[in-house]
Order: sequence, then C-alpha cells, then structure tokens
Amino acid sequence: MTIAALSMPLLRLELRRNPTRWMLPPIAAVFWFISFRASTAYPPLWNVRAMSMQTSVVTVFAPALVGAAAWMASREARRGMTDLVACTARPRWGRQLAVWAATTGWALAAYLGCVGVLYAVIARQAAWGGPLWWPAVVGAASLPAFAALGFAAGVLRPSRFTAPLVAIAAFLVLETSVQLIHWDQPYWQVSPLVAGPWEIGTDQGVATFYRYLPDLPIAQVTFLAGLTAALLGGLGLTAGAGGRWLRRSAAAVTVAGLLAAGVATGWAGTGRLDPHGMIAIPALHDPADDRPIGYAPVCRDTAIPVCLHPAYAGYLPAVADALEPVLREVAGLPGAPVRISQAAATYRSGPANEFGVGLAGPAMTGTPPVFQLLLPSQLPGPIRPRDDLVSTIRTDAGRDLVAVLVGADRDPSPAQQAVMAAILHTSTARLDPDTAVAAQRLTALPAAARHTWLAQHLAALRADRLTLEQLR
Amino acid sequence: MTADAGGLPSARLIRLFLTGRRVPAALAAVVACALLLRIALHWPWNTYGARQLPLIIETGCAAAIAITAASPFGDVERVTGRWLPLLRLGIAVALTPVAAGALIVAGTGVHLAGGASEVLRNTAGLTGIGLLCAAVLGGALTWTGPIAYLVLGVYALYTRWHPPALSTPWIWPGRPGHDVGAAICAGLVFAAGLALITVRGARDPVGDRG
Repeated sequence: MTIAALSMPLLRLELRRNPTRWMLPPIAAVFWFISFRASTAYPPLWNVRAMSMQTSVVTVFAPALVGAAAWMASREARRGMTDLVACTARPRWGRQLAVWAATTGWALAAYLGCVGVLYAVIARQAAWGGPLWWPAVVGAASLPAFAALGFAAGVLRPSRFTAPLVAIAAFLVLETSVQLIHWDQPYWQVSPLVAGPWEIGTDQGVATFYRYLPDLPIAQVTFLAGLTAALLGGLGLTAGAGGRWLRRSAAAVTVAGLLAAGVATGWAGTGRLDPHGMIAIPALHDPADDRPIGYAPVCRDTAIPVCLHPAYAGYLPAVADALEPVLREVAGLPGAPVRISQAAATYRSGPANEFGVGLAGPAMTGTPPVFQLLLPSQLPGPIRPRDDLVSTIRTDAGRDLVAVLVGADRDPSPAQQAVMAAILHTSTARLDPDTAVAAQRLTALPAAARHTWLAQHLAALRADRLTLEQLR
Repeated sequence: MTADAGGLPSARLIRLFLTGRRVPAALAAVVACALLLRIALHWPWNTYGARQLPLIIETGCAAAIAITAASPFGDVERVTGRWLPLLRLGIAVALTPVAAGALIVAGTGVHLAGGASEVLRNTAGLTGIGLLCAAVLGGALTWTGPIAYLVLGVYALYTRWHPPALSTPWIWPGRPGHDVGAAICAGLVFAAGLALITVRGARDPVGDRG
C-alpha cells in the first residue's frame, strides 16, 4: 500500500506514456476474430459461451501482454537511463511497479471492454440464466500474472530480443500445458486456459441444472495472484531495489506468493470430475453447490407434452417435431409416460482419461411415469446441425421410449422387435424374415386400429407373453 | 559507411553492419529455437499440439530475424552510403533460409508435423510480417505482427478439428504444406516485407516508443 500511495503520480504518468494502449486496437481485433466469433457461434447458452471465452481470451491476451510488459521493463536499459534514474528519490521497485501497473491497467481496460461486449451479447441472446462470472474473473486474474512474467523477464534481461522471445515462450508453455492434463495428473488444470474438464471439452451439459462450480476458478485465481506476487516481489529483492524495509517487504510478498501458488497447484491436483460435469476440489468444495437449481420447464403441447430446461428453449420446437410421430403412436397406451422431461446429464470418469456421460437412473421414472430425455447437445462433442439433432432424437430417444414401453430395453423378443419397428416406422431389412413380415403387417394397419391393438396387448407384450403369430 | 575501391562493401563494413543489427544474437536465437524444437519433438504430442509446436518455434525465429531490421543509428546511417538497402536485403534473405534450414534439421529423424515445406512457408511468411511491421510500425515493434499472426495461425489450426475451418490462404498455417495458394500468400507477404525493408528500412531509426 505504501508503494502504491507513493507512486500514484508516477502511475498516472506511466498510464499516459504506456505504449500498451496502442496495442489495444489490434488485440481487440484479434479478440473479435477468435473469441467473439467462436463464442457467438455456439448456441446461446451461458455455459458454453463463457467457458469457451475463458480459454480463447487468455490465448489472445497472453502473448501480447507478456511482450508489452517485457518491452516496458527494458525501457530504462534500452535508453541508457539506468544510472540516471537510479539516483532519483523514488525506489527502483516502486518505479517498476508503476510501469507494471500501467501496463496491466491498459490490458485490463481492454479486457473488460471486450468481455463486457461479449457478455452483453450473450445476455441478450440467452434464454435462461445469468452471467457466469468465474470464467471472466479467471481471465482477468491472468492479465496481471502475464504482465508480471513479461516484466520480470524484461528487467532481468533488457534486450530487444527479450519481448518477442519471452512472449513466444509464454505462449508455448501456455499451449503445451494443456497437453499434460490427465485425470491422473491434474495439476496442470491450474492453467487459466482450463475452464472445465479438459478431456471433455466444450460441453452444453454442464452448469445448467447445477451450479457452475467455483472450485477450480478459486484455485486458478489463487495461483495467478500468487504467481504475480512472487514475480513482482522477486524484483524487489535485488540490490538497489530500495531500502532495507522495502526489500524485506518484497521478500515477504515473494514468499507469500510462492506459498499461494504452491497451495493452489496442490488444490488443482486434487480436482476430480464431479457427477455434474465440473471439476470439484475437496478442499474448496461447498456441498451447497451440489443442489440442483430450480427452474420452470418450457413445454410443447404435443400428444405427450415435451418439456425442456428453459436454457434449452431454443431446441424445443425441433425436439417436439422429432418426437411427435412416436408420441402420437404411444399416447394413452397403458404405461405410456405422461410427460417427456429433459434430465441432467451425469458424468463418470474412468481410467486412461475415459469418461462416460448419461442418465443418472432409469429412463422412465415416477407415478404417473415420466420419460427422462437427454438431448444430444447435452453430450460432449461438436455442435450438431439442426437436421442432425432432429434425426438423432427421433432415432435414439424415440427408440428408447418405445423400447421401455414394450419392455424391449434388454434382449428384445421377436414380437417386441416387430412392434418397435411398427411404431417407429423403421426399416425391417435388419429383422429376420418372420419378424419383418409381422412388423409390416402391424405397420399396414390404420393408426387407430394399431393403437387399439397395442392398448389391448401391450401388457402381454411387455411381459414377453406374445409370439409373432399372435401379432395381427 | 565505407566501401572498397571497386565499389563493393568491405568485409569490415559488413561485419560492423551485422553487429549493429544484432545478427549474431538473432542467429543465437534461431539456434536456440531449433534446439528447443528438437528437444520438444521427442515428447509425445497429440495431433493438434504437434502442429502447433513448429508454428510457435517458427514465429520465434521470424521475430528474431525481423528484429535485425531495426537500426540503432537512424538517419545518420541512411546518408552515409549506398549499400544500406542491399545490406538490409542481404540480412533478411540470408537469415530466413538459415532459420528454416535450422528448424528442418532439428526435425530430421523425428516426426515434424507438416514437414519441411510448412516450415519454409511459415518461416518466410512470418518473417515477411515482421519486416512489414518494422517498416510500418518501427523497428522496436517488429515482433507484434508475428505474434498476433501466431495467435491467428494457432486458431486456424484449432478450427481444423473444430469447424467451421478457416480456409483462407492468407492464414496459411491452417493450410497443408502442399497448398499452393497458401504458399503464394506467404511468399507475397515475404516479398512485400523484403521490398519495403530494402527500400525504406525500419521506420524509427533512433529511439523507440515506450
């Protein structure tokens, strides 16, 4: 605080003279090209857009900021003014901190502007939820750390080669660090590039039904703050940095920074995939975050109502249209669900970086029964085009629904296979000839007659007491 | 600036010029980059990382070469001799293949993603960007262009696995090594950088911003 108070006029001067501000328009342009375009290409969900922003924004700002800070740190040496300014009343450490603070300040201003615009666009487009602040906080916390890294390099090695080489080295370390992230070696999750389970990637299934876990962001911010303190404190340890008390303060800051960075890395090392798709760190985890978030579902008035989480409201027409033919067939049958309801995905990690995503329990639950639906977009993987989404829902969710209804979810009998093919209107080419004939016979019936027959025989079919010959 | 009676620049002039432009330091940086690449290539990389790594190292080489465009003397040097443009051209023309060659040699015997053609194309194109920055922004800020382009290039590589892919040949790191359009674009940028730096030199000969 003493240093900061003493250096305010100097800080204002450095802010006016700092060339980092001239680098802001190109940085903003690269942010738009990489972060903004990529983020807004995702569906309007806070989770995917904010989390992808964290990764890309760090990539955009880090090399430029490291280079700019290194450049500014070597200013006195480049201009041959080291001896001249050494005899000024201001301690060297204080002067250096003012330059670092000005460089960081300009970068933070640009960051806040860029992220502010992006968040405003997301807020306008998202159907549900509010801003996820932790990805923005981690990105902001990385800027002082990268500036300190470049600044320390520039002070230690003032040369015209320092700025580009340290910027590229920082970028190399940053990009390659994510290569080393594994379930069994999770310390590298402390990298600010990591917004969630790295092996899973961008995933629409997280932080919607359950909270965005702050565990990993807290560890990352602690690490970045510690790294910043250690690097800046280290500059105050050298002879000539200031008086004895100043150097002792610098030593204390350095030690505290190193401890914080070490502890945070240790925390990240204990991070594991939690059932809701986020990284949970036992030392930081709040059990209250495991409670589901309440919401009012959005529904479509189909033969059986289809209800989705409001965040996925944009998918509702496509999902309802995809399921409508099957729902018309099964509505009103004994044991048919009264509602199709979107469920939260459950995540399980396995050995060798494997993971599984699926429903937590059976597909049909409750009395009266409700069919639990997992959207394909809740599963990790690339964004699917609408037609692909519709086709997948019709094929997978429709088949699952009918399979549960006719009791064919495990080792279906020929009669069950035939009825499934008739209800789903799928090809009979893969069925054996007798089953195919039975399926075609049932398919050829008028819809009302088929529905009546199913209502009469569904219980026997589900109990596997129906043979192919008994199918009309 | 001095010259032999025959009109050619003397060896002493060339040596002083190279020293003034920090060419030995640039060569040391290129060798360090090549060694780093060699060491890094012994590690297992996934496909994306294997393509990123050479690009990042190539950017380091290109930035080091572009930095040699900055003159510590400025106008004083500009009025002392007619060999200056040729010497500026000579440095860039000589260092670029040296850097590409060093990286190709570093990748010999191990898997260098993209191969020699990508190394040559990327190094030349990135050096061209650095030289353009030297001529337009000034010798002090030559590194900003290659680093900004590196971020774009890495993103272009990323989009190869996460469509829609960036397909413009002007972002050549995203294109395969045999892509003619990308090679032409990189070559044009290199030629433009060479031409500008030969004719005009770096923009701010004395001092620098910041």
